Amino acid sequence: MRRGVLASVALAVAIAVLLIAEGSQGRQTLVIGVVAGSGYGLVALGLVLVYKSSGVFNFAQGEFGTIAVFALWAAHSAGVPYFFAMLAGLVAALACGLATERFVVRPLFHAPRVTLLVATAGVALLAIGVEIWLGEQRGRYLAPALGRLDRVSVFGFRVSDQRLLVIATLAVLAVLIALFFSRTNLGLAILGLSQNPMAAELMGISAQRLSTFTWAAAAVLGGLGGILSAPLATGFEPGFLTYSALIPAFTAAVLGGMASLPGAFVGGVVVGVAESAAVTFPIFADIPGARSVMVFSLLVVVLAVRPQGLLAPRSVSVGKAL
Amino acid sequence: MSLTASRGGVTLVAGAAEAPARPERPSAAGWTVRGVVAAAVAAVVVVLPLSRSGFEVNIYTEAVIYAIIGLSLNVLLGYAGQLSLGHQAFVGVGAFTSAYMVSVHGQNFVAAVGTAVAVGAAQALVLGLVSLRITGLYFALVSLAYGTMAEDSLFNITSLTGGGSGQEAPKPSAFSSDWRYYYLCLAFLALVLYVDWRLTSTKTGRALLALRENPKVAESFGTAVKRYTLVAFVVSGVFASLAGALLAHNTTRVVSSQFQFRLALLFVIMTVVGGLRSRVGVVVGSAFFALTDYLFDRLNLSDAVDALPGLPDLSPELAPLVLGPFLLLFTLTRHPQGMAEFCGPVARWLGGAPLRHRRTLDVTEVAGTGASVSGSANGRGPAAGEDPSRA
Repeated sequence: MRRGVLASVALAVAIAVLLIAEGSQGRQTLVIGVVAGSGYGLVALGLVLVYKSSGVFNFAQGEFGTIAVFALWAAHSAGVPYFFAMLAGLVAALACGLATERFVVRPLFHAPRVTLLVATAGVALLAIGVEIWLGEQRGRYLAPALGRLDRVSVFGFRVSDQRLLVIATLAVLAVLIALFFSRTNLGLAILGLSQNPMAAELMGISAQRLSTFTWAAAAVLGGLGGILSAPLATGFEPGFLTYSALIPAFTAAVLGGMASLPGAFVGGVVVGVAESAAVTFPIFADIPGARSVMVFSLLVVVLAVRPQGLLAPRSVSVGKAL
Repeated sequence: MSLTASRGGVTLVAGAAEAPARPERPSAAGWTVRGVVAAAVAAVVVVLPLSRSGFEVNIYTEAVIYAIIGLSLNVLLGYAGQLSLGHQAFVGVGAFTSAYMVSVHGQNFVAAVGTAVAVGAAQALVLGLVSLRITGLYFALVSLAYGTMAEDSLFNITSLTGGGSGQEAPKPSAFSSDWRYYYLCLAFLALVLYVDWRLTSTKTGRALLALRENPKVAESFGTAVKRYTLVAFVVSGVFASLAGALLAHNTTRVVSSQFQFRLALLFVIMTVVGGLRSRVGVVVGSAFFALTDYLFDRLNLSDAVDALPGLPDLSPELAPLVLGPFLLLFTLTRHPQGMAEFCGPVARWLGGAPLRHRRTLDVTEVAGTGASVSGSANGRGPAAGEDPSRA
């Protein structure tokens, strides 16, 4: 673990120095990449949380965010102040997470993991379908929570307050959740349950209550990620987080080791920088869809070279049985 | 496992208490009724398309091709227990390869389909090798990223795919009319069904069954888990690219926008709702979802939805998108066998078995995963996937 941390930090610093030395294009790549990557990191946090506690890839994570954004937009359009509209968005995401847990996850509690995987993809698709049905397939624009654009600039590139808010939220949440898993009884109980459900239940841990808690927390995290990062995009439409952020977020989580929360943070930034490099540098200009190629290559290379991820914690079994 | 152990035990006892059923042979009247029903099914599948317009025959052909895609996904999801969220790319690669071989290199249909199948097998093998580097269901992630990458990048390489306007894919000259091509696709479906049946009834099939139930136990009994999972990836890739090639020549032009992420999810839905590990169920489910918007249109169900107060219009294109996921979740949580719960017994009845719905769990299931989707529900081992003609 420590060697992994050192290696990845050294790698990140080296890439950053190279990009800064490269000139204005490299600096632009770095700034845009870190900012976009922290958005992916926020989604990845929720993925890691669910994976850590139940060994399932949650394909519905993006939709928790999209639903929150729709609720926020609807409330704000109806005249509710922005802050309370954000709360409404989080409540919508929470409701969605609880419903998913109650009606999909719990009935499949003892089913093979692959069934649950299919089910979370089904939840995502159902959410997208209902969004299109009720909200039409069209783009909307969401105003940012913090509107000022020119307070901070890095290497001559302005970073809006909303972007700073995303980075700060991600960093704080990653630390808090990591502490939650290592320092609190509840966090340890969740870890114990994921490693050996039978032993954990014999110790008096309620699997069902913890499952409810995990999905609720993941949904709120997803909602937070959605409502903070949606204003940074050019607009939002049904399913936009699933289509645009889910794959980079998964790549970020795999890069971090799938069960590591700081790993999700680091992985998100790395994926963001790689993606923005694919867009900025002219050598990639001839490749159609260079962004997707970059993310896919990153995922394949990580799985091929270091499948346990950069920051895999040693105590948690990375891959659960099928 | 922990909680269901006792429940499973009880079921096992109940199942064991039943006397081993002796094969009952139907009477002459029974055979006649079965013959009439079989003839009716055959009439719908074989004769009905003859009386339809070319446009509608195209839709039926698509339903047959979807059945092949469903069987392809069934090999992965049903037999190997791995999820693919990039199957639209597997199908698309087959479609573009075949179209490219025919219209750019002037090859004949057989060579084009052969190339498509080889490319499909190769890509599935490579992606499978990467995904199996680590324990877990990483194929779901890799295929998801691969599908998006193919959609954004691979299918937009102008020299291979013709870019936005797509690639021409004329029908083979011997099967140039719509209904002839329909029968060609039916023949390919029969071939895929046969290969699938051979796959499940050989050593490979039993190995896959074992490793899906419990990979650790299978491994400890000497099953080469990775190798057999790779076999499943390759077989699935072959079926998918074959279906893609057939799809290309059915529409006679392949465009990259045909293969969107949404399609991959539709494939998963139709396979699961049809009924994993049941050939009949998967074929019926796939055809059903391929025909949903057509049926929705023909039966004017949109108007029925409009009549419900307080809901916006549900157009035929949207119907599979809203109803499909709902059916998927309903199937997973309530009726894990999907449509096969109904279609399977009917198919076995046609083969001469008595029409009876028994629900007992088999030993592998009780020992393995508790209340799983994997349940084959007829107390006959892996019977859900059994070929009707053998029953």
